[in-house]
Amino acid sequence: MTSTVTPPQPAPTQLTQFYWDALTRHELEILRCQSCGFYVHYPRPICNKCLSTELKPEKVSGRGTLYTYTWAAQAFHPYYVDKIPYCIAVVELVEQPGLRVTSNVIDCAKEDVKNGMELEVTFVDAPNQQTLAMFRPVGASAQEGK
Amino acid sequence: MKGTDRVAAVGVGYSTTGRRTGLTSWQLAIQAAKAAMEDAGMGPEDMDGVALLWGAAGPTDGTQDTVEPDDFGYMLGMSPLNWYGTAGPAYIGPAIQAVAAIKAGFAHTVLTLRIINQRMSSKEEIASQAAMAEPRKIPGDFQFTLPYGSVSSIQQIAALSAQRHMDKFGTTEEQFGAHVLAQRHFATMNEDAIFREELTMEDYLNSRYISEPVRLLDCDYPVDSASAVIYTTAERAHNFKQKPVFVESASYSSVKYMTFENIDDMNQNSPFHAAEKMWERTDLTPADVDCAQLYDGFTIIVFQWLEALGFCGVGESGAFVEEGNTAMGGSMPVNTDGGACNVGRRHGANFAIETIRQLRGGQSGERQVKDAKVGVWANAVGPFSGAMLMTAE
Repeated sequence: MTSTVTPPQPAPTQLTQFYWDALTRHELEILRCQSCGFYVHYPRPICNKCLSTELKPEKVSGRGTLYTYTWAAQAFHPYYVDKIPYCIAVVELVEQPGLRVTSNVIDCAKEDVKNGMELEVTFVDAPNQQTLAMFRPVGASAQEGK
Repeated sequence: MKGTDRVAAVGVGYSTTGRRTGLTSWQLAIQAAKAAMEDAGMGPEDMDGVALLWGAAGPTDGTQDTVEPDDFGYMLGMSPLNWYGTAGPAYIGPAIQAVAAIKAGFAHTVLTLRIINQRMSSKEEIASQAAMAEPRKIPGDFQFTLPYGSVSSIQQIAALSAQRHMDKFGTTEEQFGAHVLAQRHFATMNEDAIFREELTMEDYLNSRYISEPVRLLDCDYPVDSASAVIYTTAERAHNFKQKPVFVESASYSSVKYMTFENIDDMNQNSPFHAAEKMWERTDLTPADVDCAQLYDGFTIIVFQWLEALGFCGVGESGAFVEEGNTAMGGSMPVNTDGGACNVGRRHGANFAIETIRQLRGGQSGERQVKDAKVGVWANAVGPFSGAMLMTAE
């Protein structure tokens, strides 16, 4: 990759900075209600289950299952021109039903990407950009597939 | 305050529609409004409210007209206004706001519009927009999705939910194609349609993927367009040129205003809630409906609405379409104007207009649904959507 173009970069706020800082440390953290234990994602200053405003980032396991995905066939941003097809994924984390993150499945052949597959987080660093939390099949090693 | 029990639609109109029309947003809005006024046979003195939603795609260079409802009413000679509003989603927002304002007595006759100034019509223009956007920092909830390349509504709204529908219910690409062919057939009979050539399943399956399983032919066609509908009280409805068409029931829903990726259920979201509420507010049932105009920003949205409105069971939309139910002559003709894939993107307003024309009777040419008395139209999907049930007199 010789391009200097980066993917769209986040503009963290006071509420979301923890998430990006954790990724830089290679940890996945989700805001969690300290009163009832509910994970609140995307970050909000209140738990919509019990209305407590005591929430703190907590590290999660990084394990999950694939809820749905798509192979992007057209680039809608210059960064992706030489990366299509790439797999956009919605991953449901094991910590809580419906707790989902948008990500990419990597290190997996296209024909092996299936809804319901078990995934684990892998942290991807690149120059001049935010570290991202991507997912790969449990036990997969890097560079096996695209 | 004196309101009205019933609200009627009495005028419809379109602007010139297409790519590179060279028309500004004001010009598009004026064309559609005047067409609707002429259709109804009314002048500015007959109207006292405006509800509209204006949207522009593409680079914003500050030189565009912004269509605001109060200013637009003044432009058309409607001053003072008793009421104006601007709200989403898409066209169902202004429509329901107008109905609510008339029912409540804030206004008696409301001009509603959806104006879209597309601007971007070529790959070069899209590329230049993307280049302008660099380097871009993403605020809000999108900071959690865009850095992973989920950057287009085709990926977010259409592809992720279509893939899930296929995996969960066994829906096939040929079933998506059956819908695309059926609504194109209606378009061949609509002189307002941009695409009027019949399609074959081979054409559909040869259409390129934009984001699997969504193909180019699953996507609506971006154009410059403005669409207008005029609503009034039952008491006034017969003062105008056209046979009035009545609003029987309507609903909005918002289930969770976040990103499409993070919605609770990708295949059963706000349309299910909107449909439930719409049916609660009427004695009519899905069996009473003669034709349905269901928002087709992408094919999978039509499938969700078919299930949400109760025309088929949950997960059964693929088979329902494949059996020909939604086609010309089927049990529930869908998108009888050809849909936004064929008449161009109007964010739902074409579906209100086609419902009104079908229920007036005799205004839909060869595609007229015989003896159509009840029609439903639906707009948007995901976190926000709405539907409206309409009846002939």
